[in-house]
Amino acid sequence: MTSAPTHAHHDAPAAPAPAPTPPGRGWPDAVGLVARLLLGGVLLAAGLFKITDLTGSVQSVVAYQLFPYEVARLIGTTLPVVEIAAGVLLLAGLLTRSAAVVGGVLMVAFVAGIVSAWSRGLTIDCGCFGTGGPVDPEDTRYLSEILRDLGLLALAGWLVVRPRSPFSLDGHLPKGR
Amino acid sequence: MPRPPAPQVRTVSKGPSTALIGGVVVLVVVLVAALVWAATRDPGGLDSQGTGSTLPEGGGVSLGPGTDADVTQIRIYEDFQCPWCGVLENSIGPALTEKIEAGEVNVTFQIMSFLDGSLGNDSSVRAANAALCADDADVFLDFHAAVFANQPQQEGAGFTDEQFLRWAEEAGVEGEALETFGRCVEDLPHTGYVEDMQTRANQDGVTGTPTLVVNGETVGNEEMSRLMQDPGALDEVLADHS
Repeated sequence: MTSAPTHAHHDAPAAPAPAPTPPGRGWPDAVGLVARLLLGGVLLAAGLFKITDLTGSVQSVVAYQLFPYEVARLIGTTLPVVEIAAGVLLLAGLLTRSAAVVGGVLMVAFVAGIVSAWSRGLTIDCGCFGTGGPVDPEDTRYLSEILRDLGLLALAGWLVVRPRSPFSLDGHLPKGR
Repeated sequence: MPRPPAPQVRTVSKGPSTALIGGVVVLVVVLVAALVWAATRDPGGLDSQGTGSTLPEGGGVSLGPGTDADVTQIRIYEDFQCPWCGVLENSIGPALTEKIEAGEVNVTFQIMSFLDGSLGNDSSVRAANAALCADDADVFLDFHAAVFANQPQQEGAGFTDEQFLRWAEEAGVEGEALETFGRCVEDLPHTGYVEDMQTRANQDGVTGTPTLVVNGETVGNEEMSRLMQDPGALDEVLADHS
């Protein structure tokens, strides 16, 4: 807090109504900002890597062996667009809660996909940032991929519960929906 | 006295509402996603023309007595920029060539090109196109061997058109045929079929190279590493899957 403490005996004329906590104050705001930037940055990066290599993106989805080819192609080509959109919205702090819901749903889906690949004994790279596909059995990194996505899921959860954070466009939107 | 009605509270609109922005964002995302999906779609299916040796629908370059013949059927999924494909080809390539020429096996080369995307170049597509040009000149196997034998030390350094020309020349292409080959390398007439081969491989569920399929059975990791180290293991592995 930077405002000087007011003294009880100080007879200021008609003290102004206490302003709502200004943005940028307190640790919850800091957590919100970090969550937005981290989750948004990772989603944007992942989407950009995929959209510049759509063949690899589609092939990475095929490697999970969960969908028929055309479905895998639909996922591989549209997922990067969704990731980029959610990432940009989070970085800008626009529609933060909705974007965080999308990010969280994606993380749940990614974790489910990786757990499924792991449990079926596939040895693939998650393809989270572009080309995945088979790797040598000793080169799989399922656990760290899952932990990373769970961490991002936690950040998304925070933003869904408390989307307010400093330096966000949401703060400049008219109140009320 | 009744109280006068409270003055209407007017919300001062400083900009578009959240709902409007949300609607526009969703619309844009759906539109862009649909465009990306449509742009990568092959509207005619896998109908690109290949060469005299290629199977329809991006099914690869098939050499030997044919896919209907009662011989061991081998499918190799590979990418010219894949180092392990090079190791496999440099190991069992000569023996396979002999078996093809003796009519003992039929080999279908499913040449993929996904490594261009991850390596950030276009050498896989160009090399695959050049290999089809080499098939037009009847030197597919020699050219195929030369590409893998001369893979760059550093993965991703790629190939030059001059290299393709030299390897075709070393395979015995000369004169007018060499000029035709050069134009074919430059004009990339086979890229449609090359893309079909990549799509077809994914449709087959293959996402990694090299993948070797013998009589419909995918050769496992342990056997693959034996083949990469010892060309002599080929007969044994083929017998295991016959």
